[in-house]
Amino acid sequence: MPTLTTRYFDQLEYSDNATFQFAAGIPGFEEHTNFLFIQQPHTNPLVFMQSLHDPAICFIGLPAKVVDPNYHLELSPEESNALGLPFVDGPQTQSKLLSLVLLTFAENTEPVANLMSPIVLNPQTRRGIQAIQLGSSYSLRHPLALESQAVACS
Amino acid sequence: MLVMRRRAGESLLLGSEIEIEILEVGPTRVKLGITAPAQLAIARKEVLLTRAENLTASQNQNPEVIAWLSRKLAPRSIEAVNSLTPQSNPPEIS
Repeated sequence: MPTLTTRYFDQLEYSDNATFQFAAGIPGFEEHTNFLFIQQPHTNPLVFMQSLHDPAICFIGLPAKVVDPNYHLELSPEESNALGLPFVDGPQTQSKLLSLVLLTFAENTEPVANLMSPIVLNPQTRRGIQAIQLGSSYSLRHPLALESQAVACS
Repeated sequence: MLVMRRRAGESLLLGSEIEIEILEVGPTRVKLGITAPAQLAIARKEVLLTRAENLTASQNQNPEVIAWLSRKLAPRSIEAVNSLTPQSNPPEIS
């Protein structure tokens, strides 16, 4: 099994079919076309999106439903196609997908989640995209609503 | 900000080389046709915002911040597991 140097977990062994392919990368990281998604018991529910191209590039995300239980994803025909889905705009199609929201850490404030641009994964085809929600009112910087005392700890 | 009213089929010019035509007006969105020099980058604003946010999000975090955040979010993990379908779980690393 190949081994990967990761940003937060040192060396990890992984199998090739555990990675996700992002054909076009994501905005700002177009050359990063393969990512490994890492979950560890002691960091649940965080999901680490590690680039296979650069050990230093690792995004930290959460399942969108953790941030917003009613999170609703909309995909264009092109996006569905990129995920290897037939374009059927229905809950059945959506249930096969996993949406992650990436976290941004600003100084002296709580982390925020990017609900506007979720990372959408299709575990069956191992393909992923960043699906910018053009028609929605989801925020680029949604507060995580941790307790207010949390701010002092950072 | 300059405000202009246009109908479908009408267009406007930015300078002499950029033309924006209103192709279609729907109930919630409009379809635009843009004619511009090839070297001019045209992108939806949301893509640029996402790009900037991705660049910020890729910055390394202190392990202490990650540990703190994990503790704060831990109560939500059960909720996460319950609401995710089995095939939604990314591969576990061993």
